[in-house]
Amino acid sequence: MPAQLSALALAALLVLPVAVTAADSNLVVSDAYVRLMPPGTTTSLAFMSISNRSGSDRRLLQAASPVARTVELHTHIDDHGVMRMRQVAAIDIPAGGRAELRSGGYHVMLIGLRQPLQEGERVPLTLRFDDGSTQKLEVPVRRPQPALAAEPPAAPGKH
Amino acid sequence: MRTNRFLIALIALLAAALLYLAAFWEPLPQRPVEKIVPHGQLPPGTAPAGGDFVLQGPQGRVALADYRGKVVLIYFGYTWCPDVCPTSLSLLAQAIADLEPAERERVQAIFISVDPERDTPARLKEYAPFFHPALIGLSGSREQIAAVATAYGSSYQKQPANAEGNYAVDHSSATYVVDPQGRLAGSLPHAASPAQIVAFVRQQLAAANTR
Repeated sequence: MPAQLSALALAALLVLPVAVTAADSNLVVSDAYVRLMPPGTTTSLAFMSISNRSGSDRRLLQAASPVARTVELHTHIDDHGVMRMRQVAAIDIPAGGRAELRSGGYHVMLIGLRQPLQEGERVPLTLRFDDGSTQKLEVPVRRPQPALAAEPPAAPGKH
Repeated sequence: MRTNRFLIALIALLAAALLYLAAFWEPLPQRPVEKIVPHGQLPPGTAPAGGDFVLQGPQGRVALADYRGKVVLIYFGYTWCPDVCPTSLSLLAQAIADLEPAERERVQAIFISVDPERDTPARLKEYAPFFHPALIGLSGSREQIAAVATAYGSSYQKQPANAEGNYAVDHSSATYVVDPQGRLAGSLPHAASPAQIVAFVRQQLAAANTR
């Protein structure tokens, strides 16, 4: 019976969605993924959407992950076509609104990957907010563009 | 009764608005293909001239002139770049994949590193094929890279390194299009869609056919 119970618990764990939200948290993380990078690349990043269902503004202050030596919050400034990547102290999540971490804007940057990330692997990522709450996520590693999944194989023997 | 009618009218109006939004709302409007946008390094009003260059590729020397007869797509970036470059190269790769095989034979995509200190030809050989097997990465001396970037209107600036020695490189994110005669035909802005890239490439191929 205990074996059955633990099997059940394991099954329940496996079907848990990516966005594991603490029961008392009004911050909901969705669509989180870490970008699969080319072989030999020591950097990557995490994108996600963070909804704030509370009545007060929140800020994402810090992210941490055991897969990288350094984890920073970054944004991009599009300066007349020149993309300037800069570290930020925090990412605002307005009350009743959301913060979008996506290409060309905010991201969680993973610097100094300890080992290559594999497609489909789940990366532990802990987010810390200005209300003192933290969220532990298991973020899947995905290819840069979902559309690429549909890419037909290259013409054989032509290159 | 009046209130009911008003409510029904309001519901009808909102439903119509919702249908309209569902049918026509585009969260990310397609940006039109822009003409060449001069970046920082060129004096205002000077259009970049493009032109031939020789750099180091996966198998040694690579010259732009090697690709006469092909449309060449050039993107300047660096492999440490976590977002802008992989995003742009993925869009470029998708565009190449979307071409007909006969068109693909007449197109070459090139990634030129603006970070030659870290991006050796060997590093680029490991990096570029991830996006598309036909994408090649080129490196060179700092002076060579600077000359090519300036000629094409691309600009970049290495940022100060942190305590761990890591640094970012600010860089323009256009894709430059060279026609089959080796002339700079124009550029596509950052995050141009595969459809926009394909359309520009086909324009160049069609123009070459009628010459």
